[in-house]
Parts: sequence; structure tokens; C-alpha cells
Amino acid sequence: MIIPVTTESGFFEFTPYRVVVPLLSFVMIAYAWNHVLRGTKTIWEALLWTLFWGGVTIVVLFPNWLGFLTAWTGIKGQANAVFAITIGILLFVVFHILVRIEQMQKRMTDLVRHEALREAGLIGRIEEDEHHPK
Amino acid sequence: MKIIAVIPAYNESGHVAEVVRRMQKHVDGTIVVDDGSTDTTPEVARREGAFVVSHAMNCGAGAATMTGVHAARLLRADVIVTLDADGQHNPDDIPQLLTPVLKSKVDVVIGTRFRGPKNTIPFIRRAFNCIGNIFTYITTGKYVSDSQSGFKVFGPKAVQALDLHLSGFEFCTEIIREIAKHRWSIVEIPIRVTYSEYTLAKGQSFSGGVITACKILLRTFLR
Repeated sequence: MIIPVTTESGFFEFTPYRVVVPLLSFVMIAYAWNHVLRGTKTIWEALLWTLFWGGVTIVVLFPNWLGFLTAWTGIKGQANAVFAITIGILLFVVFHILVRIEQMQKRMTDLVRHEALREAGLIGRIEEDEHHPK
Repeated sequence: MKIIAVIPAYNESGHVAEVVRRMQKHVDGTIVVDDGSTDTTPEVARREGAFVVSHAMNCGAGAATMTGVHAARLLRADVIVTLDADGQHNPDDIPQLLTPVLKSKVDVVIGTRFRGPKNTIPFIRRAFNCIGNIFTYITTGKYVSDSQSGFKVFGPKAVQALDLHLSGFEFCTEIIREIAKHRWSIVEIPIRVTYSEYTLAKGQSFSGGVITACKILLRTFLR
């Protein structure tokens, strides 16, 4: 599907790819700043995130701006585009698995920590103090 | 103010006794977090009068430090001093590091190896630290001269709010992130360090450093 849109520089090919990716970028940037408002992400991290997704959007909307990069990756070709998207999906899967592993590691560490503090008599002690304040 | 030292230790039976002994005159209590040691580290530390908290398995320096912070909070600590168990830090530097926190001037004091007295630090260590500082700056927006220092003092605000999630050596960068996130005031104070073959062997390898750097970057995007 190609929807031609007239711009100052001529015709702009509005392909689904050029609609979906900027929308996705917007969602990701909004997600990051939402985390900043909730205090779970720093402003610096949100800025990095914005820079990354903003860059993705610019590359998608104006590929000629990064002509050297597109020439180098060969993403203009259809087969190469499929190849690049596949790599992107695989990277996402790897990231997702890494996040899951980190979450599991964190749970295990919390368990080991709780057991260590309990064995050291600290958790029982604080609970007693809270029930019978001096 | 109640000052408690937190020393994460893994197989440090040969060095932890002296570290604990030299700490005692500067703090009100010492917590040694035995991170799943297979030698006699907990027994040796206990014999020297330290309060020992033992992990059932090796979880990493970051996890051990956070366990120590939890334990210190439960023991009603107002100020926490962290330092390494391998003897590379000089406990006699503690009063100097404590002063800004006790005068309520800052929330966190970082002991820096790269300012002040000339420490004999191997080139590779300096290079690692430089890379660590750059990664820390990229991911947190805060530049410190010794982002990977294990010798720190946390004031009351930081003691209450510090929350570390990373288990390995990358926790040093996470501490700087916490400082940036909570907008805690910091000061860097020069410290003396003693490197030996032993302390160098205990530190991070090149590949370990690369993995740590990747984890830090990945964490920044995935958090």
C-alpha cells in the first residue's frame, strides 16, 4: 500500500511501515516518561530512550538523511528489509529472555537474603520490636 | 548517630580478620556479609566480633552489599560505611570520610582512589575505571572520578532509601544512579589503597568488565 502525500520536497511515500514505527516509537517514549512520573526511571534514562526511539522514527520517515547507513546496511532492498526485521525481532526476544532471567535472579537473591537475615535473627528481632516498642 | 560498617566478603578468611579488627575503633558495629563462602570467612569474622549474615549461596557483591544495608537498617543504623574485605582499603580513612556526613553536609561520600595521595594503581585498573566512569556517566548523567569504588559512606537519607537490584559488580554504577535519582548530595574524598597480587586477582577480569558494561547499558534501556 502506498499513499502519496505531497510535501515541499515532492512526494512522500506513506507506507504502513512509516505509520506503525512512529506510532510504536511514540508509545515507547510515552511509556518511558510515564515511568519517570512514577519515579521508577530517571529523567536521564528517559532522555536516552527518547533519543533512541526518536532516531528510529527519523530513520524510518527520512531514510535519505542517513543515506550512508542505509547504503551500508542495504535496508532498501526487500530481502534485506526482511533480514533486518528478523534480526530486530530476534534481538527483542533475547532482550525479553534477559529481562525474565534478571527477574528470576532477583527473586532468588531476595529469597537468599530473607533467609540470611532470618537466620541471623534480625527479622524476628525487628518484628518483636514493632509489636512491643520500648 | 549509630555508624555501622558493611563488609561484603567471599572467601576472605585470610584478610577479613584484620579488616574487622582495624574497623572497630571507627564504627559502632561491623556487619560482615558472607556471600556463600566455602572457607572459614564467617567463623573468622565472628571471632573478631563482627555480626555475620550468611548467604546460603554466592549471589554477587551487589546482592551482598544490599543484604548488609538491610541488616544495618534492622540494627537501626543512621550511617553506613561500606568497604572491601580484601584489605585494599585503609580503615583509618574512615573518620575523614565520615566528617561531611556527620556534619550533615552531604548524603553520600565516595572514597576516590584517583585524587589526592598518589596511589600505586596498575594501568589496567586505571583503564577499567575510566571505562566504568564513562559508562556510568552515559547511563546516569552523573560523573564521578571513581564510580567503581567500594569505599563509601551513606548518610541517614541514603540509608533509608537506598535500593539496589543488581547482584554483580555493576551495583557500583547502580549506586550512582540512586544518587542521581534521589538527588542526594555527594562529595568525593581521596583514599589510600593497597594493591597486591591477591587483591588484583580478586577484582574483575577484562571479560567480566565488558559483561558488566553491557549489563549496565542493557539495564538502562530495559528498566
